[in-house]
Amino acid sequence: MLFNTTHFFIFLAVVLALFYSSPRVLRRYILLAASYFFYGTWNYKFIILLLTLTAIDYTAGLWLERIPAGPRRKAVLIMSLTANLGFLGFFKYFNFLAANVALAMGKPAHSLFWDIVLPLGISFHTFQSMSYVVDVYRGQQKAVRNVIDYALYICFFPQLVAGPIVRARNFFPDLWNWRAPSSGDVSRGLFLVALGLTKKMAFADQFAKVANNYFGNLAGNPGVVTAWSGVVAFGLQIYFDFSGYTDMAIGMALLLGFHFPVNFRRPYLASSITDFWRRWHISLSTWLRDYLYIPLGGNRHGRWKTYRNLMLTMLLGGLWHGASWNFMIWGGYHGALLSVERLLRGDRPVSERWTWLYPLQAVVTFGLVMIGWVFFRAADLPQSLQVIRQLFGGPRGHLLLEPWHIGLAVVALLLAIAEEKLDWFERLMDAPVIAYASAMAVMLFVLEIFGVIDVRIPFIYFQF
Amino acid sequence: MSPCPEPVKSAAPIGRPRGRFAPVLACLLAVAGVFGLDALLFRTGLYTAWLQPDSSTGLFEMILRREQRSQEKAGNNLVLTLGNSRFGYSRKVIDQLPVKPLYTFRDAGVAGTTPRSWYYMLREIDPTVRRYRAVVLGVDDYDDEDRYYNPSNDVRDLHYVIARLRLGDVPEFAQSFTDADLRWAVWRGGLLKGIIFQSDILEFLTNPLKRIAYVELCRQGFAGWSYDFLDSTRSMTGLQIDWSTYKITFPPGTDEDQRDSVSSWLAHGPEPQTGRLAAFRRAWFGRIIDRYQGSPTRVIFMRLPRGPIPRPDGLVKKRSASIREMAARPNVVLAPEHVFDALERPELFKDGMHLNREGINRFSVMLAAETARILGPPEHDTGQAKACPTGGACFSLPRQDKR
Repeated sequence: MLFNTTHFFIFLAVVLALFYSSPRVLRRYILLAASYFFYGTWNYKFIILLLTLTAIDYTAGLWLERIPAGPRRKAVLIMSLTANLGFLGFFKYFNFLAANVALAMGKPAHSLFWDIVLPLGISFHTFQSMSYVVDVYRGQQKAVRNVIDYALYICFFPQLVAGPIVRARNFFPDLWNWRAPSSGDVSRGLFLVALGLTKKMAFADQFAKVANNYFGNLAGNPGVVTAWSGVVAFGLQIYFDFSGYTDMAIGMALLLGFHFPVNFRRPYLASSITDFWRRWHISLSTWLRDYLYIPLGGNRHGRWKTYRNLMLTMLLGGLWHGASWNFMIWGGYHGALLSVERLLRGDRPVSERWTWLYPLQAVVTFGLVMIGWVFFRAADLPQSLQVIRQLFGGPRGHLLLEPWHIGLAVVALLLAIAEEKLDWFERLMDAPVIAYASAMAVMLFVLEIFGVIDVRIPFIYFQF
Repeated sequence: MSPCPEPVKSAAPIGRPRGRFAPVLACLLAVAGVFGLDALLFRTGLYTAWLQPDSSTGLFEMILRREQRSQEKAGNNLVLTLGNSRFGYSRKVIDQLPVKPLYTFRDAGVAGTTPRSWYYMLREIDPTVRRYRAVVLGVDDYDDEDRYYNPSNDVRDLHYVIARLRLGDVPEFAQSFTDADLRWAVWRGGLLKGIIFQSDILEFLTNPLKRIAYVELCRQGFAGWSYDFLDSTRSMTGLQIDWSTYKITFPPGTDEDQRDSVSSWLAHGPEPQTGRLAAFRRAWFGRIIDRYQGSPTRVIFMRLPRGPIPRPDGLVKKRSASIREMAARPNVVLAPEHVFDALERPELFKDGMHLNREGINRFSVMLAAETARILGPPEHDTGQAKACPTGGACFSLPRQDKR
């Protein structure tokens, strides 16, 4: 049940109706049942996996709180992390490993494959679960006593399959001190759901058609301009797709009285790669920072170890996205760029101040990020290299984007700049009803005219 | 590149406190706004005047407007023909007959349409139901044979008539589709027409000036082009079908489209007879006939030449004959079933279902003659004609000579 389907909106309407018409004591049960139903519509068998991980980490949390510091406590933590990473590793990375072992043995890559179905959203809910256990271990989070509450934290349907990765310290206060959403929150929630849907169907899916056309037929689409337009189309697709999903998730959570953290902050306006990662998939980048980069030593042990830690973090971040060398290279590419930036910048903090140089820096950063997306989107390494070659050499080619694609991108850019400088979203939420309604109407009209309706293009991050 | 207004995590409402129902009111206003914008663009002709003429909607509109315009100068003895691509004839051939034809033929047929589209075409062309002496409907058979093709679920009808679909039409139009997904698509598209026009709009936005120039060109030339159009001279001479095995022997040089049309239209086994075609015909021909009830306009059904080699009569046990049933209604006439049988020869067809140029020429002459024979000589309407809102004159000559 994709977020951009009629079925999902019927489901959401039913959940909201049941939620608000039920006594408070029943509401968390309704959300839990709805979340398992939502997950089950994809593959009900994997609810067992979800329940197993929930049980393991719920129990681990309780143990960790009871056991005093020492090896036993550490053993519980390791057991929990092993279980999470074990499931994640098996479902997500087994065949990748098997393919490389087979190739090393001189056999065909597929010869050792197992027929494994990747459970939906496993990368997200395992990371969310692990963050809880680690926080309890560190004493930053109290163990949750009520198993229903914990299960809901893991499987809450708005963010179950593609995040944002919500920390326990953000989720449980909303659950335990639940208050009916204010009219401001409802306005925000409704607007974000509509905005997310528009981003997905009118922007991402239109750019997806261009990107799929390019990456699906490289031989038939030679040329530098062609390659750049195909790659930029994918760059725009993935942003609108993922941030659209996130907006919908945040909006739906608001309608249910929950407040999710920001996950995107206009990443393509970033002035550096460091800035980009402060704006892109923020819940993952902060997770990697808190649970990987800092435990590895962060920047506390000298320059070279900082670079090493950056590389390791980004390599693992790349691998988190998918089991392929391409994702590793994508992660490594960003790790290398971050390291180079760090080397050039030294210990000076990253500036987000808009100067006359800012547009140039943003364009360069955008270009570098686009090159990285080649590895993210291409089917395999040879195809990635072919695209890279096309980006930097060969015939001129032709623009794959139509003028209205460019129009959509320009409108989005202007809105992003306006949000960055003028905070239009908050101003709109504060504006008279007629202004809010007009903005919503225009947005929905854009969805009507540009929304890809008859072809269902899945959210990109659903595969992770 | 982000219109992304990410929310600040906040448990407390930000901004001016609003009433509890303000979000609901705002959403209702927003929905009204979307419908308003949609109506402004797509229900006023503001955009539909610039539709791509080669699209389904554009072609339908082009033909409809041509016929509306023609009413101003085409006289009073008009006969309107409606059908799909199988109802191919030449008005020019009729006009050039040595003996001046009794009636002026106008062709509102659109390739790929069904009686569902014809109903809306008629409603727009003839709002007074008095503009034409007769409406001639070309049909494949007076009996009902269910084939693989289910006209009820032909979504092309939505695309043909979308510009003319009113809000009040949407429920009935949607219900006429039997497939639930299509019904939903029709509801959606009927209420928000921009969804149906989307590909047209995107193409328009790709090069607006080119579109405008092309539409202008078509406006000026379409009537002439369609009048002077000469169909293919290719023929199916040499075609043979063994009806016991459905084995087809094609003449040399037959292309894939021709082969497909023979195998899909003619040489196929019987489909289960569920009565869906009869239901569809009763619904939409029924609506057309209802519309002309009490009108001086005659509704004439004509069975078109069935193909280069017609399917044997006993091949399918047909369970009903909806069009024969309709002959009992006042004002409805069925042309003799076998009147065009002489044209059912391979040398007069360009493929398995369409007449070629020679076939069209002969059919045009026969069509004019048969229509004149059914209607008889036109009566003088001096003093009886009155101004018609669509232009020209409406006539009011009740006729009784029904066959």
